[in-house]
Amino acid sequence: MDFKLTEEQELIRKNMREFADKYVEPIAVEIDENSRHPAEVFKKLAEGDWMGIPIPTEYGGAGSDYLTHILAIEELSRSCASTGFTVSIHVGIACMLVLLNGTEEQKQQYLLPMAKGEKLGAFVLTEPGAGTDVMAATTTAVLDGDAYVLNGTKTFTSNGPTGDTYMVFAWTDKAAGRKGLSCFIIPRGTAGMSAGTHFRKMGLRSSQTSEMVFKDCRVPKANLLGKEGAGLVMAMAGFDHGRVGIAAQSIGIVQAALDESIRYSKERIQFGNPISKNQAISWMIADMATELSAARFLTYHAAWLKDQKLNFSKEAAMAKLFASEAAMRHTIKAVQIHGGYGYCKGAKVERLMRDAKITEIYEGTSEAQRMVISGNVLR
Amino acid sequence: MLNIVACFKWVIDEAYIRKGASGALDFSAVDYKISDYDRNAIEEAARLKGLHGGSVTVLTANAPEASKGVKDALSRGADQAFFAGDPTFNQLESSQTASILGEIIRSRIPYDLIICGEGSSDQYAQQVGPRLAENLGIPCISYVQKLTIGEDGRIVAERRVEEGVEVVEAPLPVLVTVLPEINIPRIPGVKDTLMASKKPVVAIKKEDLPPVGAALLQTLGMTATRMERNCEKFAATPEGIAGFVEALQKRGLIS
Repeated sequence: MDFKLTEEQELIRKNMREFADKYVEPIAVEIDENSRHPAEVFKKLAEGDWMGIPIPTEYGGAGSDYLTHILAIEELSRSCASTGFTVSIHVGIACMLVLLNGTEEQKQQYLLPMAKGEKLGAFVLTEPGAGTDVMAATTTAVLDGDAYVLNGTKTFTSNGPTGDTYMVFAWTDKAAGRKGLSCFIIPRGTAGMSAGTHFRKMGLRSSQTSEMVFKDCRVPKANLLGKEGAGLVMAMAGFDHGRVGIAAQSIGIVQAALDESIRYSKERIQFGNPISKNQAISWMIADMATELSAARFLTYHAAWLKDQKLNFSKEAAMAKLFASEAAMRHTIKAVQIHGGYGYCKGAKVERLMRDAKITEIYEGTSEAQRMVISGNVLR
Repeated sequence: MLNIVACFKWVIDEAYIRKGASGALDFSAVDYKISDYDRNAIEEAARLKGLHGGSVTVLTANAPEASKGVKDALSRGADQAFFAGDPTFNQLESSQTASILGEIIRSRIPYDLIICGEGSSDQYAQQVGPRLAENLGIPCISYVQKLTIGEDGRIVAERRVEEGVEVVEAPLPVLVTVLPEINIPRIPGVKDTLMASKKPVVAIKKEDLPPVGAALLQTLGMTATRMERNCEKFAATPEGIAGFVEALQKRGLIS
């Protein structure tokens, strides 16, 4: 058993820490307040090869492993969970879907610019009536000559308004059930596909989320990803990868909550002593540090399994479940430690608490993770 | 073709040092980094190579654990590294470091320009640069905030001195020690770090070098500074304010 990161992983992690401190932390309050996508940060992320860490170099990536990608997401999310998430869904789901299922032409045309960070990927599955219940989706893709024609409405699409390359799921054969869903790569600007306006959210506000409407949207046959009917299997595999990213994002949030809580509790004097001297506070911090470690090990282990080409579906769900719930629990505690100051805009813990909530919801709710885990262990 | 050598020290990242009981420093959870101004030295070497071509060699004499620092340095635009790693090189004193670096450069690395940080993040003795120049018998230009190489191959350096800026010129080879104002060190990208592992590193053993002389200076101890904090309170009354002004005057803070 070896718990040591490689020297390269340690250096890359440190470099991302420095990047986030320099370019992300100073604008994190502003982009949250204004729900702004920081395009200037994403340009710099692209320059540093941060937008495709686990993608092979021949497809525009850095050619590293999944664990290294996870370390970068964690460090980025420590400064801004929205920015960390945008990279996570771009790499973990959009890029990985094409890498794992695309033809050579699709990889050259769509994966390469995504992994270089020139184009931003999006994952378009959820519908107004189909959240955890993917099978309730209604968007259809009907073959007409050399193209599929898509009709339907999607919602809660991350990177919807800002994306360039959309992974869109639609029924090619609804009657075939689980074998009737297909995935299409649709570039921005395709006639018949439009993104709605950015939703105003409780947290994760600089991550852009919208509806996506498909109205007689013609997609060439060449843009079908994988086989017709393989959509559900690909989506689930995409989730496995994405979930490790959400776990990493959650760890970044907990680490930030812990950093803030340690700093504040040592400075804040009540009854003549720093509040960190009070057992009620120090035990909250002890629990925070302990669960942070546990979440980190679960997450790194899931990423390690992925890098060893072993099955990591259950471990990804466990990591995501535990890390996201830890993020919610401990950001609430972090605000409690900060008292009234933590409840005010401008306190980092206030933003962390709002950002934490979504980690229990997207890329599979906590309930969906428990379905995956119980399905695995009760088999 | 310019042969540039940038020297660096792998030091404790001071952000991780904690103050233990009774003022002793607690190093139990420290991480290491390339000394701050040495990052400027490496960056300047890479910048000049970008402008004039040539090669950048990074060099350090350190504990074996500094292999991570060697990769870090190589990810910042250097072409190759020379690494003298030995457990006894962990706490070298400036004169010892300078003589080891001098020996390695003289015997193994062709050079036109040697760049060092003005001082290290840990000791800031500002000794290694000038001593290394002395060891090699070449000019030393210190406190450099701007560096250019003229078409005639002479180096022009702006030195930040107490009351202004002094501009000096020298023929190569020369050693310069740089200030942080000279550039903004890059944050290496992912590929830079991955590629660093593939660049050549020449490992030098202690046995391959002449014996290192005794330290000229010995550090006997290190403790955290103790700051005296006095707090006097004054009421927001005319008497209180008068007392406040008087207290500031007494300390010479206002006249």
